[in-house]
Amino acid sequence: MNCQKFESLAAELARGEMMEVDVLVDARAHEAECANCSSRLRDEEMLSRGLHALAIEMNSLQPSAFVEERLLATFRQPSIVVPITPTRNYRPYWLTAVAAILLIVVGLVAMVWRGSDKPKVDFAVNQPTPEQPNEIKTPKNAAVPERDKSVASLPPQTKPKRHLNSRELQARNSRTIRPESAVTNHASNEVATDFMPLGYLNPASLQDGGQIVRVEVPRTTMASFGFPVNMDRYNERVKADVLLGVDGVPHAIRFVQDKRSQ
Amino acid sequence: MTAGRITMTAVLKSEQRMKANIELSDAELLRRMMAGDEESFTLLYKRRHPSIYRFALQMSGSQQLAEDVTHDVFLFLMKDGRVFDPSRGSVSSFLFGVARNYVLRRFRGDQMAVQFADGEDDEPFDHMANEPSPLEDLTKAEMIENVRRAVLSLPERYREVVVLCELQELSYGETAEILGCAIGTVRSRLHRARGLLLAKLRPSREQAESVSSAVVESARCFA
Repeated sequence: MNCQKFESLAAELARGEMMEVDVLVDARAHEAECANCSSRLRDEEMLSRGLHALAIEMNSLQPSAFVEERLLATFRQPSIVVPITPTRNYRPYWLTAVAAILLIVVGLVAMVWRGSDKPKVDFAVNQPTPEQPNEIKTPKNAAVPERDKSVASLPPQTKPKRHLNSRELQARNSRTIRPESAVTNHASNEVATDFMPLGYLNPASLQDGGQIVRVEVPRTTMASFGFPVNMDRYNERVKADVLLGVDGVPHAIRFVQDKRSQ
Repeated sequence: MTAGRITMTAVLKSEQRMKANIELSDAELLRRMMAGDEESFTLLYKRRHPSIYRFALQMSGSQQLAEDVTHDVFLFLMKDGRVFDPSRGSVSSFLFGVARNYVLRRFRGDQMAVQFADGEDDEPFDHMANEPSPLEDLTKAEMIENVRRAVLSLPERYREVVVLCELQELSYGETAEILGCAIGTVRSRLHRARGLLLAKLRPSREQAESVSSAVVESARCFA
């Protein structure tokens, strides 16, 4: 231990503070060797004794009783300390309840309003497929044929689950993200190009799913993707499917054409 | 006779309640005090006013100021005791913090400069220096007086650390809580303050040593 380190510990040694045994032994060894540090420690100890003596001397000092009397007189004044009454304040609960009701009403109105004004967008994913024809809607009160009555009375049976083989699983998993390559759309009367990325396509952003939105774009848009454009029909619009991520950002586009128009 | 019995019963009940209150914590006493319980206030005052008074006295060196600060601190507690937050520290630390603010405010507001050279405003400890005693007692009284003057001559930031850590014997943590600073800051300030105190006390100690050696020499001459 050097003198600088000892000086930083001298006050703690003099105050009798707890320290590690190794440090204490080193400090005592240095004190025995160095006269200056030994003198410094004696000074610190004398200061500690002086401060301790001062503290003891002052322990007996008290303020005059007049201070307590003045304080008690003040305490007895009713306006100084207002006793806390255990009345419950219901106002916050009322406010919370009213706010909750208002929120629910506004939410319902907004839902109804949005439902009535929703523009009808032709989503490709909602298009019926030939394999899944539209259900024939029957009136609720329509009579059920006799043959079907027995069936209708039976409890609905769940379709037994079929175990998929690995190829089917792979195909099903890749269906959601991987763009289909120049295949016919699920509406078999259309043909489509490959999905072309719009900017940098990060597959990770589509892990949580996505949405395909059918839009119409100017035919000249096709030229920007390298497709030939018939300039006689440049002012016409063509259908396209835009692949949106869950964040609403378009990631890819493909152009769609009806088979009839080919 | 009946009135005397009623009075005795009331006194006994009051004493019993006081005994029960003695075991309560400061925070509970404060809560009851804020609910209007005078006994809780009295008990809290008796428990905490000596240290608050001594703190103000050691910081200022003035008995009058110390009494005023003690009064103001407990008056503040009556009026604004609800601002005490148990999660931020103890009632004791809270009171020390309020007392510190009042002392510093008095220093700033009254432009009160503690004068030590003339020693005019030294009522609290006059009895120590003037008390007739043997040589050791006189030396001790002089030493205490010198230490007191040296403490009062420190800058405020160092003085309050010395008063709290050395004279009030609070821990570094409690002192840091009161001053609103880090424990490391308290340690470094205390280290610096002790260095300043040693520098102030060294000449007086050398003078005392020379005086005592002169007394010994004269004694030898007489011998």
